[in-house]
Amino acid sequence: MKANELIEQNNQKRELLTEENEMYYSKLLMYIRTKLSLSEQQSEEVLMEMLDHLLEGQDEGKSAREIFGDDPKGYADEIIEQLPTEEKRDMVKFLGQLSFNLMGWFLVIRGFTLLLFSIFVDVSDTVYILPTIIILGLIALSVSFGVKVILGLIHQSLFNEKSSEKKDMLKAGLYGAGSFAIILAANYFIREFGPSFEFPWTASLGSGGMLLLISWLMKRKVL
Amino acid sequence: MSLRSQLLKGILDGCVLAVIEKELVYGYELSRKLQQVGLSDVSEGTIYPVLLRLQKNGLIRGVMKPSESGPNRKYYSLTTAGEEALKVISEEWKQVSVPINALLWKGEDLHESE
Repeated sequence: MKANELIEQNNQKRELLTEENEMYYSKLLMYIRTKLSLSEQQSEEVLMEMLDHLLEGQDEGKSAREIFGDDPKGYADEIIEQLPTEEKRDMVKFLGQLSFNLMGWFLVIRGFTLLLFSIFVDVSDTVYILPTIIILGLIALSVSFGVKVILGLIHQSLFNEKSSEKKDMLKAGLYGAGSFAIILAANYFIREFGPSFEFPWTASLGSGGMLLLISWLMKRKVL
Repeated sequence: MSLRSQLLKGILDGCVLAVIEKELVYGYELSRKLQQVGLSDVSEGTIYPVLLRLQKNGLIRGVMKPSESGPNRKYYSLTTAGEEALKVISEEWKQVSVPINALLWKGEDLHESE
């Protein structure tokens, strides 16, 4: 069974857990899933085994604490230590899918914005290749770092009694605001230079839709 | 950690391999079998890091298939390397346990002593 099917099944089966067991298990799950370097397939398989085990134990009146021990963080760390890391090929696929998705949304939104604005004002649909590449690069960088930063924050704070949610939210918010400001500034200061071409809203919408379709197919593991 | 659970931790790999050698099992069955033979100190969850390690080292393989009760389970079996490893572990356990039994049980009648 593929990872996305396991995730889907996991979501359904988790509803059968008692509140207490669900709390315990979900923390384990989040802690393992937010460790991005691990093989997704292997992680989801062992998470499913643990969930099945917990469900069978629950029927016999056992709690998650009795089954997995009093130290969930220590236990999760043991699991993580034994899980293989994601293969490079799968990592590249994942990043490719993510960037197709981002590009797709970017183009679709651009298409709609152009269409909407062109009703009221005269907007140029010229694209300058080099500045566009710089801005897109910045967006990709800040998104990928952002994912890492936020997942890292969740990973650290899950079993940390002392960590305050507010502080983490503030950190994540500052990160978001900071990268947004950088992208806006770059957009404002980078001059239009180099080669350019006309890229009307229809083409933008069309190509964006194509990219979203490709990314969706990749996610369903069809491609 | 108690002395007993420390001792167990060292030999748990062997115990897990031995159960898997006898029959195809999935996680929950495996932990129940370990408890049935009297290893009640092994907290059930500890088998999952062990299973992952044994898989990573190529001693066992897990295959998803439908269980008797219906839903899919991951069933484990030994690889050839796993069979070899189990032989080695059993042999070494014998070499350690016989003299230790003789020493600690001080000549009490044990079936191992010949």
